[in-house]
Amino acid sequence: MKVALEIIEFKKVYGTYPAVNGVSFSVEEGELFGLIGPDGAGKTTLIRALCTLLKPTSGSLIVSGMDSNTDILAIRNILGYMPQRFSLYQDLSVEQNLQFFADLFKVPAIHRTERLNRLYQFSRLESFKKRLAGELSGGMKQKLALSCALIHTPAILILDEPTYGVDPLSRQEFWEILKSIQQEGATILVSTAYMEEAELCDRVALMYNGKIIEINPPEKIKAEYPYPLYRCEGRDMQKLRNFFKNLEGIRQTQLFGNALHVSFSEKPSPGDWQKWQKQSGGDLKNWIDHEPSMEDVFLYLINQEIKDE
Amino acid sequence: MKRILQMMQKEFRQIFRDRPMMGIIFIVPLVQLLILAFAITTDVKHIKMSVVDFDKSAISREIINAFSQTERFDIKDFTQDLHRIDNDMRSWKTQIALVIPAGFSKDMQRGAKPQIHISADGVDGNTAGIALGYAQAILVKYGLENNSPDVSLTRRISLHIVNMVERMWYNLELDSQQFMVPGIVVVLLTIIPMMLSAMSLVKEKEIGTLEQLMVTPLRKHQLLLGKIIPFLILSYLELAIVMTVAILLFNIAMNGSYLLLASLSFLYLITTIGLGIFISTFTHTQQQAMFVAWFFMVFMIIMSGFFIPIDNMPGSLQAFTYLNPMRFFMAIIRDIFQKGSGLSYLSRDSAMMTFYGIIIITLAVFKFRKRVS
Repeated sequence: MKVALEIIEFKKVYGTYPAVNGVSFSVEEGELFGLIGPDGAGKTTLIRALCTLLKPTSGSLIVSGMDSNTDILAIRNILGYMPQRFSLYQDLSVEQNLQFFADLFKVPAIHRTERLNRLYQFSRLESFKKRLAGELSGGMKQKLALSCALIHTPAILILDEPTYGVDPLSRQEFWEILKSIQQEGATILVSTAYMEEAELCDRVALMYNGKIIEINPPEKIKAEYPYPLYRCEGRDMQKLRNFFKNLEGIRQTQLFGNALHVSFSEKPSPGDWQKWQKQSGGDLKNWIDHEPSMEDVFLYLINQEIKDE
Repeated sequence: MKRILQMMQKEFRQIFRDRPMMGIIFIVPLVQLLILAFAITTDVKHIKMSVVDFDKSAISREIINAFSQTERFDIKDFTQDLHRIDNDMRSWKTQIALVIPAGFSKDMQRGAKPQIHISADGVDGNTAGIALGYAQAILVKYGLENNSPDVSLTRRISLHIVNMVERMWYNLELDSQQFMVPGIVVVLLTIIPMMLSAMSLVKEKEIGTLEQLMVTPLRKHQLLLGKIIPFLILSYLELAIVMTVAILLFNIAMNGSYLLLASLSFLYLITTIGLGIFISTFTHTQQQAMFVAWFFMVFMIIMSGFFIPIDNMPGSLQAFTYLNPMRFFMAIIRDIFQKGSGLSYLSRDSAMMTFYGIIIITLAVFKFRKRVS
């Protein structure tokens, strides 16, 4: 497999604050690579440096064999970038935005109609093409931004939290589009704060505090979770969580909507659960052992990291 | 080249879609021209005057009559009390006082030097100076017509005048609009291009589209030219509209060459658009850009000689005006309009203006980076 993106000891320091503090990894051609981590982990800095928008303080970034410091223009020709914020011309129509970016990337006229049609097809924006970009819904805006980033069929697509603040249905649709772009041979690097999205990637890098603490396929990351994990429910979840926190041998408690994830040093017996149900005033119910999700692992790994510091 | 045209197309689409912006570009300048042209005037008329006639002779009455016949002076009060004049001047009831002493007519007939006393309220120094000038002119004229070869006048600051016949060149009637309207043209060619270019670039920065443009293969010069050329075109359109109004509505005399005016305007527009780009490189929001542009504008207008003559400024401040490109363009435009001067007479100002234009545009282009950090 050829390498599409190679990050070697990348460091970016603002003043004295290291936003990214020595990161190395590579993304293979045709891979759908996820970058996850809390806000402030350094994801956006890394992405912007890859897009030749930021100059590394030290280290280097190789995009398709070209150095981001010297081959800026060549990189920009093969790269599609979708920034975190919607940043197209709100006062131009959908079609005018697409045409403008097609112009900038010198998409030849013979291919243009065909390409626009394909982009309209997957984004389903054709019926809105006369509408101003500023008047689109959040999900449609994201699809338009993606279409503009794809107008020149880039070999490498880099997206910074593309589904941030978008409804779940549009998100799902968006990821289906990403998958189909990947199948056509593009390399995709995407950052996200949604763990269920991370699970759709081929490999995931976990970033925290300017460092990468884990890189692996999602299944492998999930398999690393060392403790038995249970899912349970109750009426007063907050109270239930506090109850578990005070027990002995508890590793981690985490609320997930209307469920609580609890992990233990030792696998508890059914008798333990009966006992806890009584102790919690009969509130505890529906306990079942559960496969750890990305989020469980993510929180576990970050907690480990905090302990190590 | 094609990309520049595509940038321009996008730019024009955005400008024409932005209705408030269209208003700012085309309506506001006209309103400014109409209002400023009437408001900023150095013509002095209807000066409030008090008269103290101790002489009470036919000659004194004739002199007073000469003052009352012109619309420059409105005689508000006749009195015999000099203290009253002091009080009236303090309470803004009178601006200038004419005192004819007893024995004035006798002195005149005897051939001795007759004296007349004039006091003017110096709080508004400009008006006072102009009013004194008018008064002198009236008295000189009266003295000449009455074959009295030597009419001396005494003011609080004593001043002797020789018989002087004035004739204004270029602006025969000293019509201040002939002077101010070309100045307003310069002001507009300063504000609009600077604001347009600063706002447009900072807006792209604010919305994030500049970042999006940066990751495309669009080159820096293509991006900048794609911005500058539409603003140049708009500024020329603006110039054409404002000049049409100036010439047709205000009867401003345009004695010079239109071609010269257009080509020197180009040099100046490069300067003001360059300033706008420069401002956009170190501001992050449209608000910031607006304030910085405002600062530049006020400095440039005040130090340009637009309504405060540079010759009236203290020496150190005069030297300071040489830092102001608008100063040179102000002189150039007024010379072209009023005197019809050719390039050979304007070469020094044009050279200075070009010098600043090159510095500013170079600085702007250099500071404008296609990278974020």
